[in-house]
Amino acid sequence: MKISTACSTKGNITDIVKDIQDQLGNSGNKLVVFYASPSYEPEAISKAMQAAFQDATVFGCTTAGEITSGKMLKNSVVAMAFDAEAVKDVKIAVIEDLKDPNGVEKAFATFEKHFGVPMLDMNPSRYVGIVLVDGLSGAEENLIEKIGDQTDVLFVGGSAGDDLKFEGTSVFVEGKSYNNAAVLALLKPGKKFTFVKTQSFSILPEKLLVTKADEENREVLEFNGKPAVVAYAEALGVAPENADSRFMHNPVGLVVNDEPYVRSPQRVNGQSIKFYCSVKEGMELSLLESTDIIEGTKQALNDAKAELGSISGVIAFNCILRTLELIQKQSTDDFGKLFADIPAVGFSTYGEQYIGHINQTATMLVFA
Amino acid sequence: MAGKIKQLIDSIIQQRTKDNPMMAGVIKTKLALKGIDPSKFTAQSDDDPVVIGKLEAFLKEIK
Repeated sequence: MKISTACSTKGNITDIVKDIQDQLGNSGNKLVVFYASPSYEPEAISKAMQAAFQDATVFGCTTAGEITSGKMLKNSVVAMAFDAEAVKDVKIAVIEDLKDPNGVEKAFATFEKHFGVPMLDMNPSRYVGIVLVDGLSGAEENLIEKIGDQTDVLFVGGSAGDDLKFEGTSVFVEGKSYNNAAVLALLKPGKKFTFVKTQSFSILPEKLLVTKADEENREVLEFNGKPAVVAYAEALGVAPENADSRFMHNPVGLVVNDEPYVRSPQRVNGQSIKFYCSVKEGMELSLLESTDIIEGTKQALNDAKAELGSISGVIAFNCILRTLELIQKQSTDDFGKLFADIPAVGFSTYGEQYIGHINQTATMLVFA
Repeated sequence: MAGKIKQLIDSIIQQRTKDNPMMAGVIKTKLALKGIDPSKFTAQSDDDPVVIGKLEAFLKEIK
């Protein structure tokens, strides 16, 4: 039973793919997941990766930085390969237009036909989903909500990045590259698995009730019946004009069973606050305060190891805002070292998915 | 009228958790992310038609 990883920083697609092929081997791979810097032409890297692993199901996306065992990288391609014992079966579906209201239904019909089980009847301890989505689509909330409505199988994933250029992100499926799209992968792993959701924040007592929101545009107009920026600043005890300087350190979270689902403020818009994910009217949010990302992530990985007994592979989706904080604190090496002894692959995302669409979080799929 | 929201939430949780009590937390989280926090509703809660509409749409998905 084998999960293996590879990474390459060679200068061109031909050399990179050859390097990855040499590291992973080109036979016996059932599934290859890869994450590529946007510096490589999306269509070309997708085509070359599928050509290199012709017998495998191959999918991935562009990034805002890559992660592999022991390292956080830039301008690289990282990959993870699973043999047929590690992943017994896998089926991929592409939602080619995220505005298609029936996109999830069509994808799920593909899965039901392949696995012969209705999505609502699939046992969530035997199947697991991965979702990769165009990180500039703004469509993640509806997508993950629809997925969650129609199955108990948990989908974990991330929003593709483009090195903070915000020009275009891509998802890759079986030799092609797509924009305004999502790739859903449904896996039947051959080993036990669990999830990590870690956000390294403490929950403060101050509450902000969303009393007016433009949900579609991810904008909160009022908290507690006051202009959003005023209420947020009051909760922190700072002047409204200084509120945005606290966004990264003090986002807000929907707290369910003592677990925060982080909603990160992006910028002030007049007296409103734009967020990186949708915030709904009526939600009571808690003010959060950042803690140590390294310690929090280390603890989360230790908990996963204790649950599974051992870890043979991790697919990680780490928010770009966490990566920026790690860069600011010169801690990227320390973060990479958390995965030094674990076959790991991942990327810095424009949003994370686990039950819902969340921010400033690392979500991971962890295999025993 | 009151109590319909709590009734619908209980029905969704019962149907979706089946014989797996671990799923109850996941379903409650899904509802909270839709803007419906199950812990905020009791048998005395007013029948808000907007919330009822969201819950009925969710129930329809699992029929």
